[in-house]
Amino acid sequence: MPGAIAFEFPDLFFGGLWLTIQLSVLGLLGALVLGTAVALLRVSPVAPLRWAGAAYVEFFRNTPLVVQLFFLFLGLPLLGLRFATDTFDNIFRAAFVGMALYHGAYVAEVVRGGLLGVDRGQIEAARSLGLSYVQTLREVQLPQTFRAVIPPLGNIAIALVKNTSLASTIGVTELLFGAEIVESRTFRAEEAFLTATLLYLALTIPLGVVMNGLERRLLVVR
Amino acid sequence: MFTDPAIWRFFGEGLVQTLGLSVVSVIVSFVVGLAFALGRLSSRRWIRWPSTAYVEAVRALPVLLLIVYFGIKGSSFFRPIFGADFELPRFWAGVLGLSLYTSAVLAEIIRAGVLTLPRGQTEASRALGLSYPQTMRFVVLPQALRLMVPAMMGQLTTVIKDTSLVGTIGVFDLLRQGRTIYTQFFNPIEVLLIVASIYFVICFVLSQLSRRLELGRITREAKIRMTELELRDQAA
Repeated sequence: MPGAIAFEFPDLFFGGLWLTIQLSVLGLLGALVLGTAVALLRVSPVAPLRWAGAAYVEFFRNTPLVVQLFFLFLGLPLLGLRFATDTFDNIFRAAFVGMALYHGAYVAEVVRGGLLGVDRGQIEAARSLGLSYVQTLREVQLPQTFRAVIPPLGNIAIALVKNTSLASTIGVTELLFGAEIVESRTFRAEEAFLTATLLYLALTIPLGVVMNGLERRLLVVR
Repeated sequence: MFTDPAIWRFFGEGLVQTLGLSVVSVIVSFVVGLAFALGRLSSRRWIRWPSTAYVEAVRALPVLLLIVYFGIKGSSFFRPIFGADFELPRFWAGVLGLSLYTSAVLAEIIRAGVLTLPRGQTEASRALGLSYPQTMRFVVLPQALRLMVPAMMGQLTTVIKDTSLVGTIGVFDLLRQGRTIYTQFFNPIEVLLIVASIYFVICFVLSQLSRRLELGRITREAKIRMTELELRDQAA
């Protein structure tokens, strides 16, 4: 039966799946916070802030995630920066920071698009009614942005779940690494990778279905 | 040590592998992706369903999983043809993993391009007596593919970034060469910054180009659909 091997090595497969889920959820939260902050920089009226935001987005989008992970994992400790003294905690946190930084750049682009999508007339109206810049942002722009950005953010979330597999290259024993360990112990490559495949699909396909449903509902509301 | 030309030659060899792998994978993926896009658009269920399943399942998987799998088992697929001792060269194992994934993505991009064309075009050419393959070949695909050039160039930058994963299966690409250098000289910071800059220059130029390029009039809906595809598949 496909997937039966998962019950022979439950700590590698289900333990790995659990790490994948943790990394995905934490990484997504980090990316959302960071991305929103960078998007606000990118639409700010102060030019140097806009440049800083743009530099961030372009740098992280145009270099491979693995290179960023290696840098966080190998480069930073040499500069005296470690995320934790414990080795396991250190690589897990490096992976988390990498996920948040890389996907934060994509989130920033989406949120920026959403903010710019709000009709300028509304912003001008809010400002002339006496709302401050921050109030306009919070009460007028962000609620509308929120609705527009949900479907594209869903796509980023799916990409993020898949990309957590890259954490295996720096030694996080998430799902893919678990399958690789099982393969090297048993040489049952088909079973090990098919099981990992099924577990990944069990995460990404429902996420895709939920996103499609949400997208449709949000469109009706509009 | 960075004044030593041998180091730069070493980086250069890696860059050649990276670029070669990207170009070959994109070409293979385009051909396979086109076939699956047409399969998904087919009116015959026994062609449409398997094509849909392939595209949706493969796109939902991490590309690293595919690369690692073909790195380990790639040779065994060819042993029935080339004999029991056949070893698939690492480069081609990488092409296999990358192309499997990228072909599914390109299939989606091409399908999106075809679906954004007004239906009237297909109907008109069918009414004028062209067969379905003729309609596809002479009317629909030339326009759809032109619409999709920017998106495909965007995908090329993703493929270039994804090639950095083939170091895990023993292809000596740019990142892997860099790793060899820093294990020798204990300078990961400098080396990784150089490697990142090389990737950055290539990908940044390509992504700017793809943003500027617009070869046909594209509807707003098509643009939204394309950005969504881009987000899901480019973040990889």
